[in-house]
Amino acid sequence: MSNASRNTAPTVTRRAQTRLGIALIIPAMIMVGFFFLFPLVQALYFSVVDYDGLNPNPKFVGLGNFQEMLADPEVWHALSNNVIWIIVGTISPIVIGLLIAMLLWTVRRGGVFYRILFFLPHILPGVAIGIVWGWIYDPVSGWLNQALGAIGLKDLEKGWLGEPSLAIYAILATAIWATTGFVIVIFLSALRNVDIELVDAARIDGANAPQRLWYIILPQIMPVFMMVLTLTLVGGFSVFDIIFVMTGGGPANATNVLGTYAYQNAFSLNRIGYGTTLALMITVLSIPFAIFLNRLQRRLSLQGMGA
Amino acid sequence: MTNLATIRKVDIDAPPPPTMRGGSKRKRGLFLGKHALLVILALGTIFPILLVISTTLKTPQDVRVNPFGFFSSFSWDNLVAAWTVGKFSDYLLNSILLTVPSTAIVIVFSTMAGYTFARLPFRGRTVLFYLVLLGLLVPFFTYMIPLYYQLRSIGLLDTLPGAILVMASLGIAFGTFFMRAFFSDLPVELEQAARVDGASEFQIFVKIMLPLVRSGMGALTVFTFLANWNNFLVPLLYLPGGSFRPLTSGLYMFTGGRSLDIGPLAAGTLITILPIIVLFAFLQKQVTEGFISGAVKG
Repeated sequence: MSNASRNTAPTVTRRAQTRLGIALIIPAMIMVGFFFLFPLVQALYFSVVDYDGLNPNPKFVGLGNFQEMLADPEVWHALSNNVIWIIVGTISPIVIGLLIAMLLWTVRRGGVFYRILFFLPHILPGVAIGIVWGWIYDPVSGWLNQALGAIGLKDLEKGWLGEPSLAIYAILATAIWATTGFVIVIFLSALRNVDIELVDAARIDGANAPQRLWYIILPQIMPVFMMVLTLTLVGGFSVFDIIFVMTGGGPANATNVLGTYAYQNAFSLNRIGYGTTLALMITVLSIPFAIFLNRLQRRLSLQGMGA
Repeated sequence: MTNLATIRKVDIDAPPPPTMRGGSKRKRGLFLGKHALLVILALGTIFPILLVISTTLKTPQDVRVNPFGFFSSFSWDNLVAAWTVGKFSDYLLNSILLTVPSTAIVIVFSTMAGYTFARLPFRGRTVLFYLVLLGLLVPFFTYMIPLYYQLRSIGLLDTLPGAILVMASLGIAFGTFFMRAFFSDLPVELEQAARVDGASEFQIFVKIMLPLVRSGMGALTVFTFLANWNNFLVPLLYLPGGSFRPLTSGLYMFTGGRSLDIGPLAAGTLITILPIIVLFAFLQKQVTEGFISGAVKG
């Protein structure tokens, strides 16, 4: 928050600045205070009571909700799905996105057209995405099974969203479809700043394509790389829309993540206190990652690697 | 912040770097292979969207027999059914009524606050800035449940103003952060010169600074509009009654009610995504740039 005029401005100016500053900031602060900070503090209170949404004086249970959470096998199961989601859902779009971005990097004509197409899924609402992919995964007339049958792989036909062991990966594939375009666009914008002479020099020195990618290109786009990593990682903890729409956490809780399980408890089972505690856990888990990666990313860009 | 500043200035339409030089035959093969691969990937990407269009434009009988066969018949029946019986005309109107005011609030309030955080120092400003920053770190999940009861207790639950205010508050943290970066980039000499000429602080803000961040406000508008249009949880939670249901939660409720009615469901999906696709077609540069700079919010 550096402002060069801070110390040189005369007192009159500074006083005027303070007045205008406070006036300009009030509307935003009211919104933040009322619709964010206040419910956030409430959340802390809800997590130490047994609230059913009706009783105005809910029973104080101390750390009871936290104890229950640690002993609840469904929490650990949901968390393991979050971990799967984070690992697969972070690595796949980054790898696929980087490869496609590299491919698009050298395309002269039509590059913009492809970029638009690849990006489009990212701005569609999760509900619409979930519905269409539900059709593609349809066990009887869905395109996936039809296509597998057509190329002679009838044995691989499955009820993709109906099988507990598969469903989470089927939803993940959908999520990867939806996010990769975004990763491509980000990487492309970073690649524009890569020093092409370095890449050419490495080629002349006999470095092959993977070596050029690993030693020359990746270090130059590292800050953007970390940024994408942060976004997908943190997003992995709070994933909700797409799972909620495609399976609602089913079949038989197989695709539950912390988000859907918290929703279930709070809004279907009226266990407000417990649901809030679960939601708090999502925050507690994701914030350290966000801060750590943000620091790392900032340090990398300070080294003048030119994001 | 370094990132935001540099990335924002990246021209994503800049000409690509010179490609490798090789034998013209090899180059040609590489060129064709590359484009063949890209065409396949592009088809895979838009396939689900084509599927929606195809199923929407079938006759209802055809949908029943062969719901996902590509463009095997043609009628407007599904669209008409979704629009009238499915109430998607109402949902569309509600989406507009929710999205436009909440986006406007975000832009106005964030620009004002962003200016303060960038250029109008006063005691306590840093603390307030950290409070806003906290909004970027804490997921909506954490406080959505208490917020429900808070809205209920003050009578804002299941009202348009309630949902609009919640949606706007969700965008303000990021918007403030975003606009602050734009204002921070402007040279100090500008305001000093204006001050010498006798401009008041308010005039400096409105007449000198605001016009210079127009591109930032444009990107933020598109970004926020899309985020609000696509928002699913806010209407799902805070508009439970159904009289103000927008497209997203309306579409979701539609799947629950009659999961077998695939034709109108496809039409409803198309009505939901069509405005976004049209917007994107006209403003693709602003949208992608908005998202690229928006990415830094983590």
